[in-house]
Order: sequence, then C-alpha cells, then structure tokens
Amino acid sequence: MADAAVDFLKGTLDLMVLKTLSWAPAHGYGIARWIEQCTDDVLQVEEGSLYPALHKLEERGLIVAEWGVTEHNRRAKFYRLTTAGKKQLAASRDYWSRFAGAVFKVLETAPAAR
Amino acid sequence: MWRRYLRFWGPRAEADVDDELGFHIEMRAREYMERGMTPAEARRAATRRLGDVASARAECIAITSRRERRMTRTQVVDAFVHDVRYAFRTLGRQKGWTAVAIITLALGIGANTAVFSVVNALLLHPLPYPNADRMALVYQEPSEGNQTGMRMFINPQPSLVRLWRENARSFETIEPYLASDRALRATDGVISTVRAAMVLPSFAAFTGTRPVAGRAFTDADIAEDGRVMMLGEPFWRSRFGGDSSIIGKSITLDREPYTVIGVMPPGFRLPKLSEKVSDVWLPLDLRAKQRFEGGPLPGLSVIARLRPNVALATAAAELDSVYARSELSKGDHGDFRTRLASPSQIVDFRQSLVLLSGAVALVLLIACGNVAHLLLARTATRQRELAVRAALGASRIRIVRQLMTESVLLGAAGCLGGLLIGWIGLNALVAIRPDNLPELAEVRIERITLLVTAGLAALTSVAVGGLAALHAVRHSAHDGLKAGSIGVSQSRRQRRVRSLLVMSEMAVSTVLLVGATLLVRSMVHLQSIDPGFDQHGLYAVQIALPRETYTTRAARHTFVTDLADRVRRASGVSAVTVASGAPPGRSFMIGTLQLEGTPAPEAGQSGFVDFNSVQPDYFRTMGIRLLEGTTLTDTTAKSREAVVNVGFARKHWPGKSAVGRRFRVVYDGKEEWSTIVGVVADAALGGPTSEASTPMIYAPAIELFEPTLIVRAAPSADPMASVRAVIAQADPNLSPPTVSNIKDLMDRSIAGPRFTMVLLVVFTALALVLAAVGLYGVMAYSVAQQTREFGIRIALGATQSGIARSVLRRGVVLACAGAAAGIVGAFWGTRLLEQMLYGVGRSDLASFTIGALVLVITAVMACLVPMRRAVAVDPLVAIRAD
Repeated sequence: MADAAVDFLKGTLDLMVLKTLSWAPAHGYGIARWIEQCTDDVLQVEEGSLYPALHKLEERGLIVAEWGVTEHNRRAKFYRLTTAGKKQLAASRDYWSRFAGAVFKVLETAPAAR
Repeated sequence: MWRRYLRFWGPRAEADVDDELGFHIEMRAREYMERGMTPAEARRAATRRLGDVASARAECIAITSRRERRMTRTQVVDAFVHDVRYAFRTLGRQKGWTAVAIITLALGIGANTAVFSVVNALLLHPLPYPNADRMALVYQEPSEGNQTGMRMFINPQPSLVRLWRENARSFETIEPYLASDRALRATDGVISTVRAAMVLPSFAAFTGTRPVAGRAFTDADIAEDGRVMMLGEPFWRSRFGGDSSIIGKSITLDREPYTVIGVMPPGFRLPKLSEKVSDVWLPLDLRAKQRFEGGPLPGLSVIARLRPNVALATAAAELDSVYARSELSKGDHGDFRTRLASPSQIVDFRQSLVLLSGAVALVLLIACGNVAHLLLARTATRQRELAVRAALGASRIRIVRQLMTESVLLGAAGCLGGLLIGWIGLNALVAIRPDNLPELAEVRIERITLLVTAGLAALTSVAVGGLAALHAVRHSAHDGLKAGSIGVSQSRRQRRVRSLLVMSEMAVSTVLLVGATLLVRSMVHLQSIDPGFDQHGLYAVQIALPRETYTTRAARHTFVTDLADRVRRASGVSAVTVASGAPPGRSFMIGTLQLEGTPAPEAGQSGFVDFNSVQPDYFRTMGIRLLEGTTLTDTTAKSREAVVNVGFARKHWPGKSAVGRRFRVVYDGKEEWSTIVGVVADAALGGPTSEASTPMIYAPAIELFEPTLIVRAAPSADPMASVRAVIAQADPNLSPPTVSNIKDLMDRSIAGPRFTMVLLVVFTALALVLAAVGLYGVMAYSVAQQTREFGIRIALGATQSGIARSVLRRGVVLACAGAAAGIVGAFWGTRLLEQMLYGVGRSDLASFTIGALVLVITAVMACLVPMRRAVAVDPLVAIRAD
C-alpha cells in the first residue's frame, strides 16, 4: 500500500513538472517555486524527490537540460520540455482530469434514496 | 570552470549535480533571507527543506552517469558505423582500384598462409603427441661426430635403453621403437607385406591414446613373452572391414602366429613423420637380446619426454653418465656420445622451409609496397576532398580514422582472399610434393594459421594505411585546397616516397631472382650430372628375409648369393651382383681409418667411414671403371683385400699409386689390415647430391645380413617380372621383394631440392609480377601527373622519342638502383641457401647477372604502356585541361 502511495505522488510530481515546463524552460528551484505559488503554497514540493524526478525525466527524454545564466547572473541548469515531453504531458493530463473527475464524483455523489 | 575541461574523463555527473543542488539551496536561502532570516538561519532552513540531500544527490548522479555512458557508447558505435559505411562507399566507387589492392594483398597473404601451414605442421608441431614441446629424439654419434654431411643416427642397444629407462632422472619416459616389414600370411595362403612396429606397453600412455577395440599391451604380455598383436585402425578397417570379432583370433607374421588383442587409433603412431603408417603393432622386449642379434648395428629408435625445465644437453649428459657407470660400458660398445634432438631440428625439409618462409615474407613486403603506393596515389587524388573535410571541421584524428578504416577493410578483404589463395596454394603444394615428404599430405590450415593470417592482414593494413594516413594529414591541411590539382611541393615529396617504395620492391625482387636462379642452375647441374656409373637399366632388388627363419648371417648371405645365380639365368638379365647397398644410398663403417705407417688413433675414437661390401663383379655390373690394379679376387672369409676410389687414393697418396698399400678401420682398438688391390673411378653412389670423390672403401661381401641384389637388364628388356618369379620360387613364404629402378631412385632423390626450387621460382615469379605491377603503377601515375608537362614539351617541339626516353629513363633508373641494392642484399641473403646448392657457388656470377637482367627487362616492359601513353599526349588537350 505504501508503494502505491509513493508512485501516486511521483506521478503527480512528474505531471506538475512537465506542466510547469510547458510555459517556459526553468531551473529546479524555479519549478518548485512555480508549483508552490500556483497552489498558493498548499502543495509544498518534496524537494528531495524533485531532483531525482527531473533527472529521470531527462533520462526518459521528456525534458532536456542545459546550463544557462539566471537573471541574477548565476549559472544554473535549465530544463526544457521536448516534443516527447509535450506528448506525455497531454496524455497524462487527460488521464488526470478523468481520474480527478472520477474521484470528485465519488466524493460529491450522495447515496441513492433508500 | 576548470571541471568542464575534465568532462571527458572526470566526474562530470557529480560536479553537475553538486552545482545544481548548491544553486537550489542558495536560491531558497535567498528567499528565506528576504522573509527576514539571518543568512546562517536561512541556509540551515533551506538545507532542511531539501531533506535528505545525500540520497537525492546519489540518485541524481546514478541516473545521469548511466545516461552519459549510454550516450558515449552510441556515439562511438555511430561513428564507427559511419566510417565503415563511408569506406565501403569510397572503395566501391573505385572498383578497379579496390580489386587490384585486394588481389595484391591476397596474393601476398595467401603465399604466407600456405607456407605457414607447412611450417606449422612440420617445424612447429612435428610430433602428434601431447606435451610434444618436451620431447626429444635420442640417438648416438661416434666420438668424432658426424662429418658425412648426411643425417646419421646410431641407434642405442636394447640393453642400453633398458638401463636408461631404469636410471635416468631427466626423463618422464623413454620410448624405444623398431619398425620393419613383415610377411603377413592370409588364411588363403597369400603373402603380403605389412609394416610392423614394436613398442613397449607404456607407448600408449606416451601417445595419449586408448584402444578403439580390445586392449593394449600390458607388462604381463612382455613378461610372459606373449605372441600378441595390436592392429592399427586404418589397417583394421581396410583389411578386416573394422570387424571386432578379429580380436582373439590368430594372425601369422613371418610364419609365427600372433593373437590379436586390440585395435589402436591413428594417434597411436611412431614419431618419425616420414615413417609409413604402422599396420600392426608387436610388443617390444628389451630383455630379449637374441631377437636383435646378428643384424647390422642392432639398435632401437628412441623418443623421450623430458621432465619440465630440463635442458637437452643436461639430459644427454645424464644418459652418457648412466652408461659410463654401468656394467655395459665394460663391453665392446665403443665410445658413442648420446645426443638429443628436438624433433623440429631433424625435419628433412627444415632448411627449405626457412628459405621459403623468407621468400614469402619478401613477397608480402612487395605486396605491401604496392598497396601502400596505391593508397598514396589515391590520397593524393583525394587531397581536395580531404582538405574540404578538414576545412569543414573534421579533425585530423577523424580523417586518419577514416583512412585507416578503409585500409583495414582492404586488409580484411585481403585476408579472406589470402585464405582462399592460401588454401588453393597449399593444395597445389601438396599435389606436387616429393615422395620423401609424405607428411605434407597431412598439412591442413589450422586455427593457428587462421590467426597468423589475420594477424598478418591486420599488421599490413595498419602499416600501409598508417603510412598513407600520415601522409594525408601532413599535407591536407595546408596545400590541399590552395594548390588545386597540382600540389607542387607535396607531389615532389610524394614522388620521392613512391620512388623509394618501388626501388625497394625492385631490390627485394632481385634478391629472390638471384636466389631462384641459383637454385635453378643447381638443379640443372644435378640433372645433368654424370654419376660415374651407368644408371640406366639398373635395378635394385631388396628382399625382406624374416629374422625368425633366416637366423644366421651365413644363411641369409648364402640364400641371396644362390638367388643371384638363378636370377643371372633369367631372361632379360645381363648381369647380377650382390652388395650391402645399392644407389642412391651410402653405407658406413663405424671406426677410425688408419693408414699403414701412421700412428694408431686414440682408443675410443670413432667416426663414419664410407664403405660398401661388394662382390668382385660389382664394378662391371654397375659400370664403374677400374682404373688401376684388379678387382677383388679373394672372396673367402679370410679375405683382406680392398678396392678404393680415386678420391680415397688422391686424398691419402696424392700423385702416387695406392695399389699395394695397407689400411685398417680401427674400432675398439682392434681390426686387421687390408691391402688395396685396385682403384676405381669416383661414383656418386649417394645420389646426384652426393660428392663422387668422397673417399670410399669397397671390401668383399662376406656374410651380409641384408644383402641387396643389383640387376643389370639386357638392352631394352624389362626382366623384373621374371626376377620376381625366380624369387617366389626360391622361397614361397617371402613377402614380395621391393624392386626399384635405380635411375628413378636417383631422380627421386633430388625431388626435395627440385620441390624447393619450383616453389622458390613460383614465389619469385609472383614477386616479380607484383613488383612489375608496382613499377607500372608508379610510372603510369607519374605520366598522368605530368600530362601537362609533356603537352608543353611536345608543343615546344620535343620529339616523341625524346619523351619516350625520358619516361623510360626514370623507370630504368629506378630498376637499376633497385637491382644494385638487391645484389648487395643477395650477397648476404644467399647464405640461406648455400647448403642447398650443388655445382654452383652462392656468389655465382652468372646467377647474379641473370637475376639483375631479368629484373631490368621486366622493368622496361612495365614501362612500355606508360611510355606509349606519354608519347600519345595531345598538346592541345593537355594544356587546356584542368
């Protein structure tokens, strides 16, 4: 059961990373901040798993990394979505919408009249 | 960031991950500081927020480095695939060029493959046994050594072998053997000759074989003096159809019944490669003295396996000391020295193989020269392509790798072609093998040969490709683009390299030409030699008298002399005589020659003395002229007469008559004096390669152990059928006699040298053709390069003959320079074949002249086509070109 929970969370993280990168290339910290700000700090990104997740996405060819310079003139590793990543994002988003919709339905639906 | 520069080797992944995580913490800390934390607090909080940094870091590093490894691998494979594909395309575009290069390499490699197969089988693996590298043949020599110029072994006595087996510590095992022809009587009474070998029970373990059927000899067989026999598998199959029921049955050999106990596989064989395959095997009893007595020098062939790390000389010395300490040394065995020879040292064909290996190596060298030139010429024409590639950013390494890939592809194709040619060559070589090299028939292309061939191909392609690639990168960068089609400075340097290549080829060819001419002239000499006796219509008849029935020397001798009288009356026979041996072959006495009036030789001294036991009519039958005195007259057992040849008389009494003088051959301090009654002409009885004037003693044939009949046929008659009939009548139990035409034997005795000569001539021809092709290539190339120059010269009024002369001059200068270097090389190189030459010296002027002439003529012919092309240049076209 614990394993399933971890997978569930990881899947969510991947999806959010991909979505974040769909706007513009970003570095790890930028991704974390973006997710925090979008959710009004409701979702705190588990930073310890963010970087391994990024590297795995890179390995899977969904994102690519490049070294670049930030607005503060600091060298940082920027991630960018690949075409494969865009496809993956679209597929995952559909899945998630349907999944979330289903869960929502369960939560909202009252039991039928007795 | 100095780390970046280490990325190829260094810990790129780790540094990157550290940078990335460091940046994150820094940014988060900055965020916290903006919210009012102190820098130290902010940093701690940021680190805490990241959680388990170490495990995140490790996970990231693992993922990234895994990905990088995979990428590097794909890149390397991609580049390689690209190189190979590109090489295929370039080679395929110039099919003619590629074919010439591959065929040239294949010829060079193929010649080496064929010869190496033989070297591998005959020299490197002369014995088909396990642990053959520690094996040695054991034999003895007289104290004076062997000065006969032939391979002469004295085989040790059975008692001595037994002593050695019991006492010598340097050996794991000592295996004596004895092979002879026996008469096998079939159930229907038909007698046939079989080859029988006698060995000890331990021989099976020595050869690492087990019986195919039945059992092998045991010590009990020997102890009980068992009449048991094993069959060789081929004989068992051919004669008994591989029927196992033969085991336990009895077979009669030389009138004695033997019980068949087992069948041995082909690996159970005698060590001497040229020894015929043994049909049957009998137990050898080292105690049974009487069975070997009465024969001439009754001895055993011996092969031994040494303990690891024992030197041959040490082991031989031990055998001598074992003998010296024993009771045996007090008998009359004479003072022999024991020798051990590693099997490859006594291979008959050894010298020739060394020579031929050298020859094919030279052929390969020429082939390499040609291919190097082909590659050079092509890189020169590709200069522009390479320069463009370099300008577009291809690194030197990339270009070198590309060129190397091409030459390695060529090498691989050459290797395959070489294997094919080697296989064909080996078969051809086996097909024309001389009779005295039967082991050649068993030579195969083995795995080691494949490896050596592949190694040679790799070596040549790397060497040749390396040369071309080096040349290409050195020039491509600067003058490839700007010089257009004629890179002047570079073409001059290339021209020098090319000239050097072709000159070396010419030199190497000259060495081979001189060597081959020497061997041809030697062979012409051997074939036209007058042997000093009339070899036509002369037959040698050898009768295998079983030791069991003809037990004494007297009985054996009498049987053959009586037989001679009957044969003399047979139709078509003009003369018959009996001797201890017939040509081609020499026989020796062991001892030391002492002339009357000279001091006696030291005790224990011994050597080989040329000697033949003959009947008085021997000289007349053989056609050897009597020059002085008479032939032998006293043929009784007490006879002390001798006849010598001119060589003997001249050596010892130059300018004086030898008749009436006395000598003796001292052995063990004894022997009586003999008186010379006549002097006969020198005769090359040992065959065309033997020296006729070698001092020779003829003594009366008295009680010969194995007498030979020498029959002179009447003109244009073949009496051999009637001779066979007479012999079969005399003793119906004898196996059929061996009848040989002496002229055939004399011719066949030079089959080995002829074989070597033919092979050397073939390899030389190959070398010459390759060198001519090389010269042609260089000339054609330079004519093509100079087309414009020729055009201008013709336009300015140069005559055609002037142009022709200038082309020819360059070719002839190259050839002559090469020939000169080759002659110098040949002076040194012909040392290799000095001992194979008969009737010509190794610095024979005629051979050197012929060799150089053939080379220059070939060179001129190779220049003809380029010359014609130069003459035919159309000035208008040539000048307008480019």
